[in-house]
Amino acid sequence: MTLQGGGTEPLGSTPPDVDRREVWLEEPLTTIDKPSVQPAEPELMVANRGATASAVAPDGDERLAYRSVFQRLFMRPEVGAIIGAVGIWTFFWAVSGTFGTVGQTFGWLDTAATLGIMAVAVSMLMIGGEFDLSSGAMTGAMGMLIIYLVKATGALGGRGFPLELAIPLSLALALGIGYLNGWMVERTGQPSFIITLGTFFALIGLKLGLAKRFVGQIQIGRTDEASDFKYFRPFFAAEWERNKHEFAQRDFWYIALVAAGVLISILAVCELWFKRRAEPKATGLVQFLVSAAVGIAAGIGLNVTDGVGANLAIGVLIALCIVVGLHGWVSWRYEPIGERGSVALDSTMIRRTVLGLALVVLGGVVAVVMDSKSTNNFVFPFTTQGVRVMLASALGVAGLTLLAMVSQAALRVNAASKFIATSALALGIAVIAATIYIASKAPKFRAALFPFLLFLAVLIFTWGMLASRFAERRAVAARADRLGNRMLALGILSVLIGLAIRMLFITKAELLAGVPPAKTSVRLLWFALFTAAMMWVLARTRFGSWTFAVGGNKEAARQVGVPAARTKTKLFMLVAFAAWFVGILVAFRINSIQANAGDGQEFLYIIAAVVGGTLLTGGYGSAFGGAIGACIMSIPLIGISSARWNTDWRFLIIGTILLLAVVSNRYLRTKAGAVRR
Amino acid sequence: MSEHALLELDNISKYYGNIIALSGVSTSVAAGEVTCVLGDNGAGKSSLIKILAGVHQPTEGSIRMNGEEVSFASPREALDHGIATVYQDLAMVPLMSVWRNFFLGSEPTKGLGPFKFIDTAKAKQITKDELTKMGIDIRDTEQPVGTLSGGERQSVAIARAGYFGAKVLILDEPTSALGVKQSGVVLKRIVEARNNGLAVIFITHNPRHAYPVGDRFLILNRGHSMGSFAKDEIAIDDLTRLMAGGAELEALEHELQASGASSDRPLAQR
Repeated sequence: MTLQGGGTEPLGSTPPDVDRREVWLEEPLTTIDKPSVQPAEPELMVANRGATASAVAPDGDERLAYRSVFQRLFMRPEVGAIIGAVGIWTFFWAVSGTFGTVGQTFGWLDTAATLGIMAVAVSMLMIGGEFDLSSGAMTGAMGMLIIYLVKATGALGGRGFPLELAIPLSLALALGIGYLNGWMVERTGQPSFIITLGTFFALIGLKLGLAKRFVGQIQIGRTDEASDFKYFRPFFAAEWERNKHEFAQRDFWYIALVAAGVLISILAVCELWFKRRAEPKATGLVQFLVSAAVGIAAGIGLNVTDGVGANLAIGVLIALCIVVGLHGWVSWRYEPIGERGSVALDSTMIRRTVLGLALVVLGGVVAVVMDSKSTNNFVFPFTTQGVRVMLASALGVAGLTLLAMVSQAALRVNAASKFIATSALALGIAVIAATIYIASKAPKFRAALFPFLLFLAVLIFTWGMLASRFAERRAVAARADRLGNRMLALGILSVLIGLAIRMLFITKAELLAGVPPAKTSVRLLWFALFTAAMMWVLARTRFGSWTFAVGGNKEAARQVGVPAARTKTKLFMLVAFAAWFVGILVAFRINSIQANAGDGQEFLYIIAAVVGGTLLTGGYGSAFGGAIGACIMSIPLIGISSARWNTDWRFLIIGTILLLAVVSNRYLRTKAGAVRR
Repeated sequence: MSEHALLELDNISKYYGNIIALSGVSTSVAAGEVTCVLGDNGAGKSSLIKILAGVHQPTEGSIRMNGEEVSFASPREALDHGIATVYQDLAMVPLMSVWRNFFLGSEPTKGLGPFKFIDTAKAKQITKDELTKMGIDIRDTEQPVGTLSGGERQSVAIARAGYFGAKVLILDEPTSALGVKQSGVVLKRIVEARNNGLAVIFITHNPRHAYPVGDRFLILNRGHSMGSFAKDEIAIDDLTRLMAGGAELEALEHELQASGASSDRPLAQR
């Protein structure tokens, strides 16, 4: 009896025509004993778990649902962290008068730099399935060690070493401690949590004991007593004063790079999302180019004209250019949908749309009506003004959430319904933008948030329009995916370079206006370089692969010849290296160091790693996530003092962030159906 | 057949303290043949594989490869001799992509010194080609292995062993956690590996999986060999009987039949 027996065959749960190549055997497999007969094979359920029931790929393996661009994006470990970082930044930007300024931004970035170098290294160790509780104490220990070595203490014979000796000596010791951590964990087979807890206390004791023994106090200085301090200072503590660097065309480059970056990113998402046409439609390209030209001209016009009326007219023109131009681009390259269907929202969806819009409008009314003259003060939440802001925000957010839910649900109906629902969402955002323009007195809200929200509304409307007119690509296309990913990377890079130019340079007008000085340091550069290097290591080297492997399934890795013990030991040494480097940075920054410097920071590193999407159990995560996690930690640290709140609240905020991140990361991952665990 | 056997086991015994896990087991495996090791739980199957895979060393007896006596001090040494073991549960790192799993531990690199990096394009291409050769059509080698079914995972592990030049492929209970169809897939891979000239050792407690693919059958019961048979020397029912140690199972079968439901109905209803 063969399994291809037809309709009466025993494998009732799969259609008889699928995947015949796997149906094989000349012998009595059907009489296999019961234990091996599992009900419904699990991968059939994967297909049903996708966003839409119809998401099963038309070709290829029928058990794999095609994951849309956004689903694939949310599979990345760090995406949740990026959203969180933007949210927290926006919150402090809104509540604090100075948080968005360049000086403040450099402030939290600097905190993020030293935190982040460690968080990236700790993320990698955690991907490898281990912990290092001694990492925080180690940063302080290494900073101290450098200063001891260069210091003219009696114990060292009155003359210290030059930094050129102190730096490699301390590095050797740091790597030695890292090796010892790894060796003990591997040799004893004990959890690294316990082993490094031991190292942690040993280091704390050593630091305090030695400080008292040699200096008689816990404050140890000074790094600049080293004979060759001035040669090393540029590497570890060079500073960049913004007000000393004037760049006349700064704003041109800033706007051009950011605008180009945003445009390229949008086109990249189109490339990843839509299905390519067989024959490109040339008129679409013409439409795109004409719109782009008009849009650029309008942008220049915005710069030279003045007055509300002109701005409004040009704003509308730019919005039109976005809609028409993107439509042109997409119709040039991508396949239109044949059957769009007619609008068919069920009563729940209609109720929710109406309710959502009503809530948004009500929020606007509240913001206008409840406006009072009271100002920001300590009991702000209990003043009329506070209630107004909170009530209006809550209504707005609730309304938008409802509208977003409807637009999600409408995806499953048909293209026309999706368009209507998405337009309602865009309308809701536009109403909020209008509310801010009418009701807010804060100039930064009117100058920044208002146009941004309008732009967002236009984008969402355009996206709804495009997604309802053009076909989504529901199959893997390696070349399109590669092109799209590269464009996305290029777009993001362009935006970042634009922002960096804006932050690093100053214009004559700003100098004349008396913009407060702001400075940043080479630490930020090291942070970026280290993060990039570790991202590369994780993605492209054998060591990176092995890191994931020993964290994910150590036995399987060992089985195929991965040197598991050596990989883990190297990871401990990597953390020690990072701690050494951060120790030097700190010693150079403040020129002296406290004996308890860094103690307790190891938890911040672990939180940053977890917030960045790294799994506590190992095998999953990203270096970039760790870097973003460090930003999420440092934004509230600086933001709280910038908002003039009591800084003791920072622990509450960090704890809350950790809890939210754990829950939402898990939610995002299950939503994206990343893996079976 | 012992003159062309690739791997020969001669009187292998293994004691753990005073526990005799294996006692005087002999068999031979030839290239292009499937040798099934059958036995119930506790029969000594895992001890036998662990000896072959280099995890344990036999207390007594010898292993000969191509007529030369060998001993494996570690899994790596066994691998170097061309003996690849695919464990049922340890085969893969579920959160890693298919191609990374395929090349794990032996990644192709390019570049120099500290800037050596994995040739991802090549690795992905080879993975896709090798899996296609085995008849597994994986759409995206970037997908995590955890999203594959159990049978596909075993298949990837088998393809990997073949690609990295294994001469002897040991499969530890590859079908025991799988459904009917997937078991079929894995059995098909076993046949393909055999046809490619590998010596396959297939460990299972399921004679219905073993009999269709096996060329020789080594039956273990409570650490003792119940004999090593060529396919034409033994029928499938005898396999079952020998595995269970004879009479006990027959009694059980009668008891089950007496209790009513015919044993093949649940299958038909699925």
